[in-house]
Amino acid sequence: MRFLGMTGLALVAGFGLSVAAAYAEQKPAPATTHRAAVAEDQAVAELNAHHRHHHHGGIARFIAMSLDTLGVEDAKRAQVEKLHSDLHAQMTPARDAEKNVLTTLADGIAAGSVDKVKVDSAIAALGTGADAQREASLNTINELHAVLSPPERAALVEKVQAHWAVWRQVNQEEAAGRRERGGRLAELTKELSLTPHEVNKISAALPAASAGPRGEFDSKKVEAHVQAFSKAFESDSFDAKSVMSNADADLASHGAARMAHFYETVTPLLTPEQRTKLAEHLRGHADYQSVASGK
Amino acid sequence: MNRSFVTMLAGVAVASFLVAVPASAGVSIRIGPPDAYIATTRPVYYQNRATYRYGNRWHYRDGRGWHTYNTEPRYLRDYRQPERHYYGRR
Repeated sequence: MRFLGMTGLALVAGFGLSVAAAYAEQKPAPATTHRAAVAEDQAVAELNAHHRHHHHGGIARFIAMSLDTLGVEDAKRAQVEKLHSDLHAQMTPARDAEKNVLTTLADGIAAGSVDKVKVDSAIAALGTGADAQREASLNTINELHAVLSPPERAALVEKVQAHWAVWRQVNQEEAAGRRERGGRLAELTKELSLTPHEVNKISAALPAASAGPRGEFDSKKVEAHVQAFSKAFESDSFDAKSVMSNADADLASHGAARMAHFYETVTPLLTPEQRTKLAEHLRGHADYQSVASGK
Repeated sequence: MNRSFVTMLAGVAVASFLVAVPASAGVSIRIGPPDAYIATTRPVYYQNRATYRYGNRWHYRDGRGWHTYNTEPRYLRDYRQPERHYYGRR
């Protein structure tokens, strides 16, 4: 009996030491420090701004963006760059539709009033374009799977999921009137050098419901699409046609609608000079070309 | 009674072994780099895994989640400066 007691004590002590040793390195940085470090990051700020203004290719665009930093072996670099360029080319109709949304908004902002009917029509065309590009990119995504090694496929999936998480954060979860660093309003404040009084007015005008009257966004549908693609792409055999989920149009339409709602709301609250500057800002996004698009 | 006590202790011992093994292997389980960092950073492929330098540590993910090397592998020392991608307008 005494032996059992000693053994028990020794094992419990051993367990405690093991747990302490295993988790000694795991203590995460304080959340505030972590967030501050991320907010300071220029690459992250630019990514957030990009995801707030570009929605045209749905999941295929996340794949194309993931190729920006995948870092494949030298031997297959040219091949992957070609596929990367092909993906961008296949998204051209949807990208042009998005450009129309951005320039329509820019014209309205410059004029002091955004034509909502015209913007909604442009957003509808963007949704159609995003839906259509899926079919065009299937073979390219299949070729990409064939070229990449299993670790590269896993890394690509990780990046697609990361882009989706960032997109969701800045286009769905972030409160519309949020003033904190890294938010859409903070980005506008910096771009237009808004005064605190102007920020207060805009923040109050932006309702918590971010997409306005254009309808709710079903993020679960996009999540299902991302997960279906992820699971399939990490497998040894892959056929993009077998990924039945398709949320590309939902993603593009919601992102553009939320963006439009933001700019429609802030436009009447800006001075003519600020509107001119903001219109130029949006035209800059409209003219954005990925390096891989070859243009 | 004694038998159930011994069984319980055996379970605790096995659990402690499973928890201790990753630590003794030079890795620990933790939260990985932020999504925006993964989306903008080129990984370094090491031991058939994409590895990211973040917070002065090397992180990688496998089927069970994110892990961190407690000791920097020699191969990765040459890649301490991460290559970032910037999406600013051009």
